[in-house]
Amino acid sequence: MATGDSTAATSGGADYVPRKTSTRLIAIIAALLVVTNVITAVGVYYGTVPAKTAETITVIGPWTGSEYAKFLPVLDAFTNATGIRVSYSSARQEDLQLILPVQFAAHRAPGDVVFMVSSFIKTQGPSGTVLDLTNVVDKSAYAGGALDPVTGTNGKIYGAAYTGKVKPGFWYRQSFFTAHSLTPPTTWAQFQTLLSAIKSIPGIVNPIVSGDGVGWPLSDVVEHFIATFGGASMHRNLTAGTQKWNSTAVHDLFANRIVPLLAAGDFSQPLTWDSTAINGWWNNQYALYFMGSWITGMNPPVTDPNDVGVFSLPAQSGITPGIVFGPDFMFIPAYSTKIDAAKQLLRFLASKDGQTVQVKQGGHLATVLGVPASAYPAIDAKVAQTLVGKDVLPDLDDTKGTTFQNNFWSQLKGLWTSPNPAADLNSILDAIQSKA
Amino acid sequence: MGETGAVQRRGLRTFTLFGRRRGGFRLGGHFGPRVRKATFRSVFFAPALLLLLFLVVYPILQTVYLSFMSATGAPTLGNYGAVLSDPETINPNLSWPPPLGTLIHNALWVTIHLPISLLFGLWMALILREVKGSSIVKSAIFLGMVTPMIVGGVILRFLFETGPGIVPSFFDAIGVRSLAVSWLNYRETALLGLIFGSVWLWTGFSLIVYSAGLTTIPQDYFEAAKIDGTPPFRMFFRITLPLLRPMTLVIITMTLLWELKIFDIVYAAAGPTGGTRGSVDVLSLQMFNYFVQGNYNLAAAVATLLTLLTLVATVFLFRRMVRP
Repeated sequence: MATGDSTAATSGGADYVPRKTSTRLIAIIAALLVVTNVITAVGVYYGTVPAKTAETITVIGPWTGSEYAKFLPVLDAFTNATGIRVSYSSARQEDLQLILPVQFAAHRAPGDVVFMVSSFIKTQGPSGTVLDLTNVVDKSAYAGGALDPVTGTNGKIYGAAYTGKVKPGFWYRQSFFTAHSLTPPTTWAQFQTLLSAIKSIPGIVNPIVSGDGVGWPLSDVVEHFIATFGGASMHRNLTAGTQKWNSTAVHDLFANRIVPLLAAGDFSQPLTWDSTAINGWWNNQYALYFMGSWITGMNPPVTDPNDVGVFSLPAQSGITPGIVFGPDFMFIPAYSTKIDAAKQLLRFLASKDGQTVQVKQGGHLATVLGVPASAYPAIDAKVAQTLVGKDVLPDLDDTKGTTFQNNFWSQLKGLWTSPNPAADLNSILDAIQSKA
Repeated sequence: MGETGAVQRRGLRTFTLFGRRRGGFRLGGHFGPRVRKATFRSVFFAPALLLLLFLVVYPILQTVYLSFMSATGAPTLGNYGAVLSDPETINPNLSWPPPLGTLIHNALWVTIHLPISLLFGLWMALILREVKGSSIVKSAIFLGMVTPMIVGGVILRFLFETGPGIVPSFFDAIGVRSLAVSWLNYRETALLGLIFGSVWLWTGFSLIVYSAGLTTIPQDYFEAAKIDGTPPFRMFFRITLPLLRPMTLVIITMTLLWELKIFDIVYAAAGPTGGTRGSVDVLSLQMFNYFVQGNYNLAAAVATLLTLLTLVATVFLFRRMVRP
């Protein structure tokens, strides 16, 4: 046989592959594979395994830019106190909504402490993908009900509240109000008069600029109208689903308070909230901007936070108004490999010491009790004033979850851009209710 | 030779996988050259095949399987029923302005975007054929193609936004106030804005393919036609267009597939909600939203429908492409 093969080999057919060469080639490739794999494995091991002396944990949060810069001192304070290093990654919560369930299904966690909307934490908690923090979080350190959004029906606590931001009302530039002899309103009639006065000022495009982007700026302003004119109870009932969006009371609120302003052109068309809208507001093309308390830290364009004032919609007699206070909730994935260190960080962030460092940076309000008033910058003291006499409410769409939220944002944008908002109101409220 | 010789002539060998030889083990020691060659090729092909099986074939089969399962794991056709009867897929109130339903929106992408970008690319390729420095112009137009579509979506968002956007500014300047708005926020303009904006991003593709195709047409044909006194438009329809047929089919296939699976531009320009009241929502975004909401079976049903749509379109066009 060997001879026959050799004969065939020397005769040189077109399909001929020299056997010795092929065997050697395969052997060489196999050997190369083994060698490169060993080198890679050794390199990866020694290159990526951190030194045992300094443990590093990962925290995933929503902040970037100036907001991230204000979070760093808190992490530094934690590292100084414990020796545990913290690596920070930024991720949008809309993206985490998609990424985390897939990671959990693979029994992996992209971070050791993750900031996430309360509805997600509460939903994931009972499935075992989120660590039970009942014995980690000191519930008594918070005001009553602060942890309800992350407490399961079984009574277990799956998350903790970090600092929060309040959505107090309409922000204005004091210099602009002074220049045009405008004053914050104390009644609905005064509010309407103010809007008319602003509209007559040369250079003004619309009295109120409407933020756009993902969709929450419009839902925030609508929530403020609900919490003021429907009261805290209507806001709570809509959140709980015990009141319908297409009920008479809600319809009337939209029809009598929001729709007339839209029809009169008091609100601008939706504009990108963190660029076109805020720049237009700061440049006096728009006089009022409904935004959360973080607006004071948005520099640029807000170069002078002392020039900023804020007022809530005027309260109605016989109605207890509410104000939306949105804490940033955090949790520990059950698949974290550094659970002990993660618990330490979570405890620190949920403590008076940790939150004091954060509120000093401005734009944040503490959720735990005992943070001294002196820790707050002056502008945040003004914001705190808007809380007086109002029930504190959780963010409605954050609490209800993604399905409702996306639809809510989309329908509100439809109302804002409708050529005839009064005519479209019923179909929009029906559409909101369909996913409530 | 006898019997052994006959076996050898047919290229057959007694089966010995690893024959002991001088110099070590040899693969297929008793096989003929053809079998050895096949074995040799298989060794190299196997890793790619395994990757394809695990990373492509298995997920596809698993997706199809999921689409026929209920959330509780029972076999059902209900997912397809739920998707096709969802007003989000086909809005029973088929009247302008959108939302008309994701399926209709995808169909509008195909019927509006495909012919415009194809004809625009062809026109540009023809007029730039003999222009000096045309390569610079072509490169500039092709930039839209090399821009990541997610970036393209963000650019479109600002292009159509009041204030920074050139489109509303243009209409404001010429006094058309109804179009001097943020196009992507209004149901009346959002879908058309996105489609027309994407023509800019995609025309580079047809321009480059047609430009390459035009260089393959022998000049003799045109010269002979000129001698015969053939008018230019007749030359275009009788010579240029028929000879560009393979390129046209490639452009149609690629553009069609892109339009059916379009996601990134819509997501970046209009957000996860598919724009105001779902006015620019498309099938891929609907699938994504089902997935985000944890409705994996519905997401799989949309994915399977999308695969079917693309398969039908691709098979039809490929058959036309290979036809002589």
